[in-house]
Amino acid sequence: MVTKDDLKVYAAKLMFDMDDEGYDRTLKEFETIEKHMEIIGKFDGIENVEPCVFPYVIYHADYREDIANNTLTNEEVLKNAHDTKANQIKVPKVVE
Amino acid sequence: MKSIMDLRNDLDNNKTTHTDLFNEAILKAHKYQDEFNSFVTIMDNMYYTKSDTLIDGIPYALKDNFSTKGILTTASSNILKDYIPVYDATVYKKLKDAGAVLVGKTVLDELAMGGTGTTGHTGSVKNPWDPSRQIGGSSSGSAASVALGIVPFSIGSDTGDSIRKPAAFGGVVGFKPTYGRISRYGLFAFASSLDHVGVFARNVKDTAIVTDIIKGKDERDMTSLPDENINYVDNLDNDIKGKKLFYIKEVVDLNLYKDAGEETISVLNKFYETVEKCKKLGFEVDEVSVDEKLLKAIYPSYMTISCAEATSNNSNLTGIIFGPRGEGKNINEIMFDARTKGFSELIKRRFIQGSYILQRENQERLFKNAQRLRRIIVDKMNEFYEKYDAMILPASGGIAPKFDSEIDRMSDRYLILENHMAIANFGGFPSITIPNGMVNNMPIGLNITGACFKDSLTLNIANKIEEELGYKNLIKEEYDV
Repeated sequence: MVTKDDLKVYAAKLMFDMDDEGYDRTLKEFETIEKHMEIIGKFDGIENVEPCVFPYVIYHADYREDIANNTLTNEEVLKNAHDTKANQIKVPKVVE
Repeated sequence: MKSIMDLRNDLDNNKTTHTDLFNEAILKAHKYQDEFNSFVTIMDNMYYTKSDTLIDGIPYALKDNFSTKGILTTASSNILKDYIPVYDATVYKKLKDAGAVLVGKTVLDELAMGGTGTTGHTGSVKNPWDPSRQIGGSSSGSAASVALGIVPFSIGSDTGDSIRKPAAFGGVVGFKPTYGRISRYGLFAFASSLDHVGVFARNVKDTAIVTDIIKGKDERDMTSLPDENINYVDNLDNDIKGKKLFYIKEVVDLNLYKDAGEETISVLNKFYETVEKCKKLGFEVDEVSVDEKLLKAIYPSYMTISCAEATSNNSNLTGIIFGPRGEGKNINEIMFDARTKGFSELIKRRFIQGSYILQRENQERLFKNAQRLRRIIVDKMNEFYEKYDAMILPASGGIAPKFDSEIDRMSDRYLILENHMAIANFGGFPSITIPNGMVNNMPIGLNITGACFKDSLTLNIANKIEEELGYKNLIKEEYDV
């Protein structure tokens, strides 16, 4: 059974937090989620099935030449950054 | 606003110009914006490149999760509320090159993760047929903008049924072709193995016209399919006599819904009427059976795979390279703060679900098993496609829900009927929803799903059924006249 503390750990691993009521609602939602998840485990012999990670088998794949193309300019890359300096994105010191 | 083909005639006969059409669309977009909220951005200026395609000079709308250089693109999330892309999505570029004129960027469920049209950062999208009802999602504004007659076509994305469900609720056509048929380059990824690009329009022919233009191999999307050199429009009227359709008994059996409301029964009755019409048209239609347990596993498997993929895809939303910068003493605190402030609670709940699924102790039991179920379901469908040309089913078990609806679409009764369209995302099958008439003065949809790579045949079948049903160009303002 998932607990509120578990949910806080899961959120922290993805680097965000919620208010307490948010965790309460998530916990409530997990009652349904866990019920649905039980369905997934209920198939005999499922362990012998190869997991499907793509809609269909690709028989043919093209590889492009290893030539740089479609690159962005420095100005374009920095355009949406909040803080920049000397053509780079500025963040606090990593080594304090 | 008329259909693409009618507008083409008007343009070619100098009855209108692309500027007139753009102005008309913009005017209408503004007129309906307060009430229905289709758009995040309505364009101030027209960008037009002359071309000789069928959509030259035709206005359209684009879901706000496609990258458009120099034009705000938010994915309807606060974490991207000021983001101005620096490159064009392939779909947008192809439409520009074909002479289509962008009217606006449409509202979606935040980051395309939802099916209600209520979670975008600029508010809920209302159903053009009844503003007290949802239009569905996640391509909510794209569906509404066509249903309102603002534009003759729009572009959406579909990971579970995000084009085909709102199309049903809005009374328009919604099509997602085979996975990889249209490049995903520049589409903000939700769940990469399930994400499709697709089209909304007023009829099947217009849908085919647009798909013909935006499909094709793209070196920037390694999953895009090789060109097949088939023109879908040219094959819409092919003879369908003897083509074989099937529907799944366990999805639509009236005995399963004995104590369901009048609305669900009406939707199912309409479906069976359509089955009879298909037979009259010359289709063979069979009822097939699928283990109900397997059908009930579609939704949980979909949620498992999509939430897990989404947590990974959205890890680039940190507020460092783009998006609102968070506060903090170090880079981790800055990212933590940006993500805490930037995502709505609903998105956080989906991410927590993804995180839970990806915990080491859950990966085998949940994530891998969901992927195994995906294979079982896709294999089952491919078995059917050895014998049949397409599957037909109702797009939903009801009409568009009220905003304050208390019907639980995730309850046991509706778990299959409301979520079966994700099958087409599991297997990458071409899938289209067309209007199937009205129930309680609201449109309902028929979903048609073909075999992989058989996009042309799927559109051909849809076109023939659309002709027989007679709900072409089902636009609210014209329906009322």
